[in-house]
Amino acid sequence: MDQSEIDALLKAAGGKAPAAKAKKKGTSPVAEPSAPEPGTESGTGAGLGRPPEDGQVISELDAVTAVTERETNKVMDQLDTISRLVGRQQELITHVMKHEGAQNPAIQEAIREIMSSGKEVQDKVYEAMDLMQFQDITRQKLERIVFHLRQIHDYIQDLLGTGSKSGADRASISRTIHMTGTTPDEKKSHADSVIEEFRRSKTKE
Amino acid sequence: MKILIVDDSSTMRRIIINTLSRIGYSDVVEAEHGKAGLEKLGHGGVEMIITDWNMPEMDGLEFVQTVRGNNPNIPILMVTTNAAKEDIVQALQAGVNNYVVKPFTPETLKEKIESLLG
Repeated sequence: MDQSEIDALLKAAGGKAPAAKAKKKGTSPVAEPSAPEPGTESGTGAGLGRPPEDGQVISELDAVTAVTERETNKVMDQLDTISRLVGRQQELITHVMKHEGAQNPAIQEAIREIMSSGKEVQDKVYEAMDLMQFQDITRQKLERIVFHLRQIHDYIQDLLGTGSKSGADRASISRTIHMTGTTPDEKKSHADSVIEEFRRSKTKE
Repeated sequence: MKILIVDDSSTMRRIIINTLSRIGYSDVVEAEHGKAGLEKLGHGGVEMIITDWNMPEMDGLEFVQTVRGNNPNIPILMVTTNAAKEDIVQALQAGVNNYVVKPFTPETLKEKIESLLG
């Protein structure tokens, strides 16, 4: 992560601090917010006695997921490079193997061992690439948490009559995110058996 | 064999593309959500679709339903984190031919693709 990205994240996190401080010394959280003044925090919706705008949380989340996605892709780039280099090495070794001076059985055996360890490296690189799926899964879990936070936020706003809904449309996340990512283990199905069952029921129809 | 991959995560698209190239499929087109997927599909030549479910703009379920309106036979594989039985059934009812739960192994993806291509 670049220093500029770290700074941007710190700035985004710091943006919440004034609102939190204001809440402590300001009016009661249940009080109606004061009239917004142009150019003030209240004017942008993060006024005294109110929780930080949901949009702020969403944009912080967007920043976090964007940065982790970009960083994951950088790791993937490195893995791609390793993979290419190993591939090139295998080609060179194959070429050397055919060379007249390398026909000694001991040399041939050594080359085969080098080839075999090269393949092991390649397999490990592929394995590491596959493990990068964690980024997408974690992102979806985060989005799901925000979805539920937003529901709680809206419920409290309704209860207190303080207006200002979370603005679900602002988020660049899926409308079906509440269904995803964290399917409890006891609800997880073996996809193949469900597909089989579905096909059987279709055949009967 | 041209394969369309629809997923909002660039990392996930890359992982899928990587797995496909390892099993011999290197002709791929990418889209980051259902709407973009429909556009790419409109360009023609796509013979198989691999799609995520949870995406902004147009989710995978709506995408599959829309595709099925015009393409009843194109093989569609859904690759998603949604793992509950009711989700899988809903996807199958929408027209998905097969289903993979994330995280997946290359072997699973390979097996599913090969079974779809028969």
